[in-house]
Amino acid sequence: MSNNSVNIHATLLPTSRTRQRDATRRQLVQAGLRIVAERGFAGATTAAIAEASGKAHGTVFVHFRTRDVLVDELVAEIGKTMSQQLAQASNDSPELPAVLDSHLAALGQHEVFYARLLCEASTLPDAARARLFALQSGIAWRLRTAYEREVARGTARDLDPVVLANMWIALTNHYLMNRDLFAPGASVIGARGNELKAQWLAMIRP
Amino acid sequence: MTTGTPDLCPSCGSCGFPMRSADDFAGGKRDSAYCSTCGDEMGRLKPYDEVLSANAAYLVRQQGLDPGAARGLARALLASMPAWKGHV
Repeated sequence: MSNNSVNIHATLLPTSRTRQRDATRRQLVQAGLRIVAERGFAGATTAAIAEASGKAHGTVFVHFRTRDVLVDELVAEIGKTMSQQLAQASNDSPELPAVLDSHLAALGQHEVFYARLLCEASTLPDAARARLFALQSGIAWRLRTAYEREVARGTARDLDPVVLANMWIALTNHYLMNRDLFAPGASVIGARGNELKAQWLAMIRP
Repeated sequence: MTTGTPDLCPSCGSCGFPMRSADDFAGGKRDSAYCSTCGDEMGRLKPYDEVLSANAAYLVRQQGLDPGAARGLARALLASMPAWKGHV
C-alpha cells in the first residue's frame, strides 16, 4: 500500500472520535424515543433523556442545540423509519389491502411513540408537526394511487380520494389516540387493525 | 425501543421522501440526492421557492389542507432538511 492510499484511507475512514460521537448521538436519540413513549413529549425533558442514556446533561446540548432540535430529531427518526417501511413493504403497484397492511404494520411497530406524537402534535415545534403531515401525505398518496387503480377496474366506488384517505388516517389516529380505551394493556393496532381495514374496504366496494 | 429498520432506500435531501423506483428520483437518475418533486430533469435541486410551492401543493393535493397552512407546514419541513438548513 502506498503512502497516498494510506492517506486516502485516513481521510475516508471515520476516526474513533467520530464513531464515538455518532454512537453517543444514537444513544441519546434511542433514549429520547423511550422516554417519549413512557412519559410523552411534555415529560421528555433533556435531563430525563440524559439520565436515561447515562450521559451528562450537558452532553445533550453538544449534539442538539436546543430541546426543540432534539424533539424534531426524534420525530424525524420515526418518520423516516415509517416512510421506509411503507416504501419497502410493497411492490411498485401494491393493491389497496397491501397498502393498508403496510401502514398498519408501521403503526403497530411504533404504536406507543406515534400515539404520543398524535396526542401532542399541536404543542410540538413546527418542524415536528410538519414531519407528521408529510408522513400522512405519503400514506395518502399510496392509498390514492392504489384506490384509483381499483376505481378504473370497477372494484371500488368512485369517491373523493382525498376524503377517503383522510377517513383512513382519522380512523387509525382516533384508535391510536385512545388506545387505552380501545385495547387496554395491548396493541390497539394488533387488536383492532384488521377490523378497521375490513370496514374501510367494505365502505368503498361497489 | 429501537427503530431497527436499516436505510433500504435513500431519502430526498430536500423533503425526506423515500426514493425507491427510478421514477422517484429527480430526472429518473438514481444518483440524484433529490426526488422528482424537488429536483429537475438533470437531477439538480430546484430553486427554493419552486420546491416550497411543490411541497405545499403536494400537502393540499393529498390531504386537502388549506393552501396557506400547507405552505407554512412545507416551509417548516424544508427548514429542517439537509438541503435547506440555514436557508432564510
